[in-house]
Amino acid sequence: MPKSDKLIVKIENVHKAYGREQVLKGISMDVTEGEVVVLVGPSGTGKSTLLRCINQLTVPDSGKVWVNGVELTNPKIDIDKARQHIGMVFQDFNLFNHLTALDNVLLGLIHVLGMKKEKAHDKAMLELKRVGLANKCSNYPGQLSGGQKQRVAIARSLAMEPIVMLFDEPTSALDPELIGEVLTVMKDLAVEGMTMICVTHEIGFARDVCSRIVFMEYGEIIEQGNPDKMLNNPDLPRTRQFLGKISELH
Amino acid sequence: MSFLDYLQIALPKIWIGLQITFKVSLICLLIGMLIGFPVALARVYGPKWLRWLVTAYVEIFRGTPVLVQLFLIYYGLPQFGITFSAFTAAYLAIGLNSGAYQSEYFRGAIQAISSGQMMAARSIGMTRMQAIRYVIIPQAFRFAIPSWSNEAVSMVKISSIVYLIAVPEMLYVAKVLMSKYYNPMQTYILVGLVYLLVIGAMTLLLNEIERRTTIPGLETARRGS
Repeated sequence: MPKSDKLIVKIENVHKAYGREQVLKGISMDVTEGEVVVLVGPSGTGKSTLLRCINQLTVPDSGKVWVNGVELTNPKIDIDKARQHIGMVFQDFNLFNHLTALDNVLLGLIHVLGMKKEKAHDKAMLELKRVGLANKCSNYPGQLSGGQKQRVAIARSLAMEPIVMLFDEPTSALDPELIGEVLTVMKDLAVEGMTMICVTHEIGFARDVCSRIVFMEYGEIIEQGNPDKMLNNPDLPRTRQFLGKISELH
Repeated sequence: MSFLDYLQIALPKIWIGLQITFKVSLICLLIGMLIGFPVALARVYGPKWLRWLVTAYVEIFRGTPVLVQLFLIYYGLPQFGITFSAFTAAYLAIGLNSGAYQSEYFRGAIQAISSGQMMAARSIGMTRMQAIRYVIIPQAFRFAIPSWSNEAVSMVKISSIVYLIAVPEMLYVAKVLMSKYYNPMQTYILVGLVYLLVIGAMTLLLNEIERRTTIPGLETARRGS
C-alpha cells in the first residue's frame, strides 16, 4: 500500500444534532493519502452522518472539514466543484434508475466535467471494465443484481477521478453471496492506493486491507488503531466486546 | 327526416365543433402543463415564500368550481376594464385550473422518486438544478404519465363548459342542432358517441406513450423505495 504523509481529509471538532439528538459530539480525525479507514460501531452512532459531513451532503452544525487542503465547511467555496472529486457509494446504490449502466457513469463525465461525448464514452467503458461489468453496459439498474448495481455505482464514482472514496455500508443491502464481488472491487481499489473511508462491518475486509479501524459510539470516537491491535488487543473492554461480536458474525 | 339524413346534416357541423373542442382542450392542457410542472418543482424544491405562493394558487383553483373561474374571467374582469375574447377567457380559466391539478400530479411523481437519487447526483458534483434536470425530471415525467392521462381525458369533457360563454365547441353545436331539429335524443347520443370515440383514441395513444417510455425496472424501483 503506497503511503505518504499528505493529508487528504482533516476533520476538526465536528458537531451535528438532529433536533435534540446529538449525533456527532465533536469528532476529529485525519486521513492521509492511501489510507483505508474503516468506521465501525453500533447503528445510530453517527458513522454515516460523519461520512456525509465530509462531502457536506450533511452540513455540520460546527467544526471544520478539509479535503485536499480545501476547507469545505467554508460557505464561500464552490461545494459542487469540491464534491466532483469526492466519490461516494451508498448502501442502497442510488443508481439513476432511468439510465443504463453506461449512462449512469457518463452523466457526470458529460454534465459535470464537461467531457466530449466520445472521450467520455471511452472513459466510462474503461471504468465499467474495471469493475467487471463492461458486458452489462446497456442494462438498466432494474436489470442488474444488487452486487452489479453497487459495482456500477463504484464505477460512476471512480470515473470522476476522486481523491478520496467514501463508502456508506456498501454491502449491507446485498444478499450474502453478492457481497464478495463488491468487496473484491474495494480491495483492488485499496491495493491501487485509493484513499478510502468505509463504514462497514465486513471485518474480513478490515483485517485484510484497512490501515486503521475507528470505533465510534454515541457520536464519539471511542478507540482507533491498526486492525491487528483493534481486533486482537484493544485498550478498552468495550472495543473488544463490540469487535469480538461482529468478528463472530462475519 | 330519417336518422341517416340527419347524420348528413349534423356530422359536418359536429366535425367543426369537434375541432374547436380539440383546440381548446389541447391549448388548455398545454397551458396547464407549462404552469403545472414548474409549480410542482417550486412546491418541492422552492424557497418557503415561493412554496407558500404556489400552494395558495393550487388551493384556490382546486377549491372553487372551474365555472366560477371562467365567469369571473369572462364576465367579472371587464368590470375593471380587462376584456378577453371568449376563446382567450376559456384558455385562461381552464388552463389555470388544469395547471393546479397537473401540478399535483407532477408533485406526486416528483415525491415518488427516492431522495437517494438527488443525493447521488449531488455526490458526483451536480448542482441542484442539474440534478433536477438530468435525474429528477426524466423520472418524474414517466411516473406522471398515468395520472396525467386522466387529466387529458377529463379535459376533453370539461372543455365543453365553454359553450356557456358561446365558444362554438361540440356541445354548443349540439345545442344549436337540437333547437333547430327538436331531436335531443339523437343529437346527444351522437355527440356522446363522438366523445367516446375521441377519448378512446386518446387513451390508446397515451397508453402507447407510456409503453414506449417505460424503463425496465423503473416501476419496481419506485415501489421499492
